[in-house]
Amino acid sequence: MDALSTVGLTKAYGHRELPIHRLAHRPTGEVRALEDLSIAVAEGEIFGFLGPNGAGKSTTIRLLLGYLHPTAGSARVLGLDIVRDSVAIRSRVGYLPGGIALYDSLSGEHLLDYLGELTGRPSTRRAELLDRLELSARTLERPVRDYSRGMRQKIGIIQALQHDPELAILDEPTEGLDPLMQRAFYAILDDLKAAGRTIFFSSHVLSEVERVCDRVAIVRRGRLVALQDVASLLERRKRNVEIRATDGDLPSLEGVAGVSGLTRTADGRLTCQLEGDVGPFLAAIAGHRITDLTIEPAHLEEAFLELYEDAEAEGDLDPAPSIATAAAAR
Amino acid sequence: MNAALFGHLWRSQRTKLLIVCVAMAAWNVFLPVIYQSFGVQMKSLVDSGIIPKQLTNFGGGDVFSLAGAIALGYVHPISIILVSIFAIGFSTSAVAGERQRGTLEVLLARPLSRAGLYVTLVAAVLLFIALVLVAASIGTIVGSAIVGVLSELSIERLPLLWLNGMLLWGGFAMIGLAASVSFDRLSPALGITVAIVIVSYFLDILGSLWPDAKGLQPYSMFHYLASRDILTGTVDLFGLALLTAIGVIAIGVALVEFPRRDLAAPS
Repeated sequence: MDALSTVGLTKAYGHRELPIHRLAHRPTGEVRALEDLSIAVAEGEIFGFLGPNGAGKSTTIRLLLGYLHPTAGSARVLGLDIVRDSVAIRSRVGYLPGGIALYDSLSGEHLLDYLGELTGRPSTRRAELLDRLELSARTLERPVRDYSRGMRQKIGIIQALQHDPELAILDEPTEGLDPLMQRAFYAILDDLKAAGRTIFFSSHVLSEVERVCDRVAIVRRGRLVALQDVASLLERRKRNVEIRATDGDLPSLEGVAGVSGLTRTADGRLTCQLEGDVGPFLAAIAGHRITDLTIEPAHLEEAFLELYEDAEAEGDLDPAPSIATAAAAR
Repeated sequence: MNAALFGHLWRSQRTKLLIVCVAMAAWNVFLPVIYQSFGVQMKSLVDSGIIPKQLTNFGGGDVFSLAGAIALGYVHPISIILVSIFAIGFSTSAVAGERQRGTLEVLLARPLSRAGLYVTLVAAVLLFIALVLVAASIGTIVGSAIVGVLSELSIERLPLLWLNGMLLWGGFAMIGLAASVSFDRLSPALGITVAIVIVSYFLDILGSLWPDAKGLQPYSMFHYLASRDILTGTVDLFGLALLTAIGVIAIGVALVEFPRRDLAAPS
């Protein structure tokens, strides 16, 4: 069963202005914040949701949790309809908002108690999370207003996960965490995944998405641009290759499958880009007196930028072929 | 109604509530003292014509009788400011303030319906106002006892006066809450509610001081706070019904508007 699925989910603002709003705001034209989003997230998956600011990530999350009402389309979370069953969904989901704001006058402990009480489920994971994120009992006694940004983020993570939700929706979860704490957080995600929990992970930090996610959806201007396994997204990316050889014995790579952008530099280096299977490339360089060979691994960031460039070139009207319109089809 | 949220609201407001209740009681102790100390002298001054007669009926109150002094206390700016701390301050910030601070995000991530949140806020603000008005009644009784005019006070009519105050301030609080659930920022919610209270107050006071403006008084919610009439044995059922209707309409507006509206990400 899918932990989360959307079909043609669309959100347009400005179409239902109520009279009382006109007292303070001028009516605005329609803005399509999200258009025809169809994705499916499997149970036990860590699903990355990527896009720059204003791409529609937060709009999607807010639709899933009932903060916004869809203009068109539908979505189900844990088998429940997001419009009809919003309250039931929120009892089974943990949510970390981006740039979380907390009740400053409460101590960390009282805040977690209060939010746990509102959730109505025992905070079974709290002690473990406090330990792994290195928040001491003494720290929890202090008012939240005294906390650093990183400590607030830790509290945000704990409030989202302390009741061991079936689905965690995390918006920029490592914001403000130092590298050690980021690593601890990734380990927590690994454990949650091992326990069968589903993670919906919104971020624009590509390296961490690459590190933790099984699949990734990329949105841009409210539209789905790509939906793929992280591994296959990286696989089809071009790697940067640089070859040095003695006495100019550089291989001829013209016409070799997957090789493009061949350039010979004045100092005798050969640079190119390599895509897909490396077999033909390795066969072509075999027997040459190579002194140095560098193949830079593909990073999601490059894949991400390329997909964006593709979408830009196509006027952002239709998703690229690799993309998926197969959205719902994993 | 959500018990955990109600408990949180109570804990977060109880110190402020205690201070306001003590201040309200103290203010209402003071009014019988003024009546006892200066009532006769003030009446002589008015009878001599030095003070215009209109000034003896400020918002339906005076200092020449205990009932008039108590009525004056209910519409005095001190009383209005004290009750407004909850009827306006708490109600308008309850949702719009949380939204502006960003804490509504965390709250609504819990299994709490917007209608449930709203009903809990209604219960909380009505309780706070009720306790402040109870403190006013206690202050009135204590003050009357201190200066020896308790026999002039119809204690059995104080619950009806409390109810009249509840309906007036509850009505303002419901207007404040309706504004609060309709806006993303505190300032418009607060501004609209304060404007309604001030205009309402102005119309009533103007009508009480200036005979030509008397026709404006029925447009003021304060006009239906009939403290002196209640203490002297008259009950304006239409006024009570009208205040109830205003509160109910404001609740209806909020219950329709809040669950329907989109809550976009805080900016």
